[in-house]
Amino acid sequence: MGGVMSYFRGLFGSREMRILILGLDGAGKTTLLYRLQVGEVVTTIPTIGFNVEQVTYKNLKFQVWDLGGQTSIRPYWRCYYSNTDAIIYVVDSADRDRMGISKQELVSMLEEEELKSAILVVLANKQDIEGAMSVTEVHQALGLEALKNRTFQIFKASAIQGEGLDEAMEWLSNSLQAKK
Amino acid sequence: MTDSKYFTTTKKGEIFELKSELNSDKKEKKREAVKKVIASMTVGKDVSALFPDVANCMQTDNLELKKLVYLYLMNYAKSQPDMAIMAVNTFVKDCEDPNPLIRALAVRTMGCIRVDKITEYLCEPLRKCLKDDDPYVRKTAAVSVAKLHDINAALVEEQGFLDSLKDLLSDSNPMVVANAVAALSEINEASATGRPLIEMNAPTINKLLTALNECTEWGQVFILDSLSNYTPKDEREAQSICERITPRLAHANAAVVLSAVKVLMKYMEMMGQDAEFVVSLSKKLAPPLVTLLSSEPEVQYVALRNINLIIQKRPDILKHEMKVFFVKYNDPIYVKLEKLDIMIRLASQNNIAQVLSELKEYATEVDVDFVRKSVRAIGRCAIKVEQSAERCVSTLLDLIQTKVNYVVQEAIVVIKDIFRKYPNKYESIIATLCENLDTLDEPEARASMIWIIGEYAERIDNADELLESFLDSFQDENTQVQLQLLTAIVKLFLKRPTDTQELVQQVLSLATQDSDNPDLRDRGFIYWRLLSTDPAAAKEVVLAEKPLISEETDLIEPTLLDELICHIASLASVYHKPPTAFVEGTGGLKRALPSRSGEEDASVMATGGASASVIPEPGSLIGDLLSMDIGGGGSTAGAGGTGNVDILGGGLDILGGTAPSAPVSEPLRYDSEESNSTDKSNAIRNTVIRLQSTNSLLGDIFGLSGTSSTTFHIPPKQVWLPAPKGKGMEISGTFSRKNGQIHMVLTFSNKAMQPMNQFAVQLNKNSFGLIPAQALNVPNIPPNQSLDISLPLNTNGPVQKMEPLTNLQVAIKNNIDVFYFACVMPIHVFFTEDGNMEKKVFLATWKDIPSANEVQFTLENIECNADGVSTKMNQNNVFTVAKRHLEGQDMVYQSMKFTNDVWALAELKIQPGNPSVTLAIKSRALDVCHSIFAIYDTILHN
Repeated sequence: MGGVMSYFRGLFGSREMRILILGLDGAGKTTLLYRLQVGEVVTTIPTIGFNVEQVTYKNLKFQVWDLGGQTSIRPYWRCYYSNTDAIIYVVDSADRDRMGISKQELVSMLEEEELKSAILVVLANKQDIEGAMSVTEVHQALGLEALKNRTFQIFKASAIQGEGLDEAMEWLSNSLQAKK
Repeated sequence: MTDSKYFTTTKKGEIFELKSELNSDKKEKKREAVKKVIASMTVGKDVSALFPDVANCMQTDNLELKKLVYLYLMNYAKSQPDMAIMAVNTFVKDCEDPNPLIRALAVRTMGCIRVDKITEYLCEPLRKCLKDDDPYVRKTAAVSVAKLHDINAALVEEQGFLDSLKDLLSDSNPMVVANAVAALSEINEASATGRPLIEMNAPTINKLLTALNECTEWGQVFILDSLSNYTPKDEREAQSICERITPRLAHANAAVVLSAVKVLMKYMEMMGQDAEFVVSLSKKLAPPLVTLLSSEPEVQYVALRNINLIIQKRPDILKHEMKVFFVKYNDPIYVKLEKLDIMIRLASQNNIAQVLSELKEYATEVDVDFVRKSVRAIGRCAIKVEQSAERCVSTLLDLIQTKVNYVVQEAIVVIKDIFRKYPNKYESIIATLCENLDTLDEPEARASMIWIIGEYAERIDNADELLESFLDSFQDENTQVQLQLLTAIVKLFLKRPTDTQELVQQVLSLATQDSDNPDLRDRGFIYWRLLSTDPAAAKEVVLAEKPLISEETDLIEPTLLDELICHIASLASVYHKPPTAFVEGTGGLKRALPSRSGEEDASVMATGGASASVIPEPGSLIGDLLSMDIGGGGSTAGAGGTGNVDILGGGLDILGGTAPSAPVSEPLRYDSEESNSTDKSNAIRNTVIRLQSTNSLLGDIFGLSGTSSTTFHIPPKQVWLPAPKGKGMEISGTFSRKNGQIHMVLTFSNKAMQPMNQFAVQLNKNSFGLIPAQALNVPNIPPNQSLDISLPLNTNGPVQKMEPLTNLQVAIKNNIDVFYFACVMPIHVFFTEDGNMEKKVFLATWKDIPSANEVQFTLENIECNADGVSTKMNQNNVFTVAKRHLEGQDMVYQSMKFTNDVWALAELKIQPGNPSVTLAIKSRALDVCHSIFAIYDTILHN
């Protein structure tokens, strides 16, 4: 009986999951968004502002917000935090120089009260580029071992090639459903 | 608990509710929320706090919701400039939306968001939209360029948007062309340099003309407006453009018609006045203008204001259309007044009868303003059309007979102008005017009437009574009336001096002493001064020939008119003011009519120098009409009047009110026949006197000769007439007193190359009545010779008070010319030998003279003692009455008597060893005191 109920709930009752894609500028957030939505690589320009799209993954509907990563726009991320279910934090694995800045942004974001219960997915993007940091390196560089009380997972990914996205989304859907 | 709680954001209330609704998942709920926000915004509630939430609703497929969000952004982007950046990406996306409506919406909204920070991000999408496939998007983008230019002109130029706009001028779609033109002209107008950023050329103009026939009416207005800013390169091009524009005159939209009229008016300037083309074009212009007058009153008014300009520039266009400007009974007042104005401008010999009968009709209407203007119009007709003047005057007289107060007053005001225009023609009606004197209560009418009385004072027997009646209420009158009254009375006095002295004195004192108005005081002082120094000059100034008034007193100045012609169909042409006068920040382009030849260079055109006719500024003419009196008097005293100097002195005594008891002035005499040549250059001479009195050192060279022989102090000779001024004759001289008679001791030096003879002397009337006792007996003086002569003088001549008292104006004639000069007489020559007063009389007189008439001086560096002083003064007919020693100082009392029996008493305080001596002088004639002090000073230092 419960299975039937949950089936119906899955069909009608579930609200859209609100997911934010964050990260420094040029990390590949917009490419990721459209890769998730239409399954293709689109040419992008720096996002001054935001994109918002509906993404359906295995019968789950996500409202995915892709916010611009430029320094001038980062302060406005906070306007989008409320009611967020999950954060996809995209890191340019090839950009070793700014890994520190990326870490700072991540840490300060996670301190926000409104994001306390949000699930975190870190994507070590641009694995296709030669000389990119490995997942472990990124994990270390971002100081993720220090994270407590947070459902999170790190994946290696390449939005251009579409690698690693399925795993991440799979994990994310499961975690979100488990949370309910 | 502190009050800080009031400042923490509450999680309740309308804003919070809206916030949560905006963040709702349900699209329907979201849309409702945005609508609520917009509703609050429109009624003026501040919902700017919701900016991020509303902005987040931007990306939606729903066009309605998008429009609402855009509306919100336009309104609040400025108050949230930082957050506005979050909207940029959406604009960028929307500019690539498949729906042209959304693309256009995005590009339009972008233009409206006036936030510096984000403009740079908007350039790319704007560029895309300017090249969009859809004309609707292109035309919207064109306007956005103008908006962006307003925010950041440099950016627009940098990004090459101006060229994109120029490309749009040859767009296939007429609407796009029209908007591009509109945007370009707006950018040109705002250009800081004052030079158009984009010059039109013949091919572009051709494209515009093609688009003109196809685009919407407002597009046509834009195109026509920019055509009017184009200057065709030659007459032929102008003609062909005109031909293609002419069909627009038949358009139903008044704005299109007026814009077309503007272009035609401007281009007609380039063609010869008599060219066949201009004549036929003028004919074509009339019907559309007439048609405009059948629209609703507001449009009529705008049309009339524009027509007013057009007929000032080209009276021919509407000269046969007088009838359409006749006032209809149900016209609103503003239309009526404007029509009246145009009627007067169109009035000519041919239609004056018709116009007059209309005007007479209007003058009996009920609306006061309209009636007044009608009466005024009749007067203006009289001035404009000379042949009708007679008829107009009789019409005005008829109107005066109605005794309707405001009609009478207006009539009098205009009759004043008619008198001015046709002097000595209609004065017979003055009597009728005077009958209505009592009913006049408006300042302008009163002033006009007073002007008439003053101007024709010689023909109005009781002018003085009439003017006097106004004088009673002088203080309560309007300034205009006061000024006019002052002038009129002065005129009256100059015309009939015998019985109006008191009146003029009264008005001058009212104007100068009892008035707070500086204009009035100044004018009063000017007249006073004029009358007291040179009535001949006064006459020339006050009664000067007045310049004729021109036909039209309210024509717009030609350069302004030309500028306004370029602004037909805009607010400027309704206000009759250049746009710079009422729009801020339009310092940019000044429009000017093209020059006729088309050969002159651009700078000439920029100054609007097309018209050569010179009409004075309207202001000056009106001013002239109002004051009428003082203007025109450019001539000054030197011009050689026929008046008599006598009036000066008498006038001064009477007017001055000081009434000195000393020089007994003759009763005021005014004798216009007597032509005294010496008053010709009074003003000049006055300055000479001052020069000479300060130049006394010069005379010291000659000085020693005369003084040694006698104990009587004779001042050294001074050069009274230097040789260059005397055409070679130099005169130096001084005064002495011998045997009870005053002598003028003169040295004539002939420094010319020819002999001099036929000498004669004449003295102007002076303070002491000095006249030569005998003829000047000077023989022939050969070149380079000089001659000394002593001329005895009597003191029984005509008296006139001079300033200073001891001034003497002399005229000496010889075979060469008549020469005038002035000299200062030492006052002691007038002390008589019988000036020793008895002690008792002295005491009584001293007490009798009020202390106000006592003047104290200090004589410095006196080296002699009391006795020395007495001796020295006695030799000069200043007699010591008594001497006393008091508290260590010597008091010396002295008396002296003038030739005219005026006494002066002096008291000297001399402290032995102290070189300063205090001199107190008492006399009933206070004026002499200073001269007496001066002579004490001179004698005691001698």
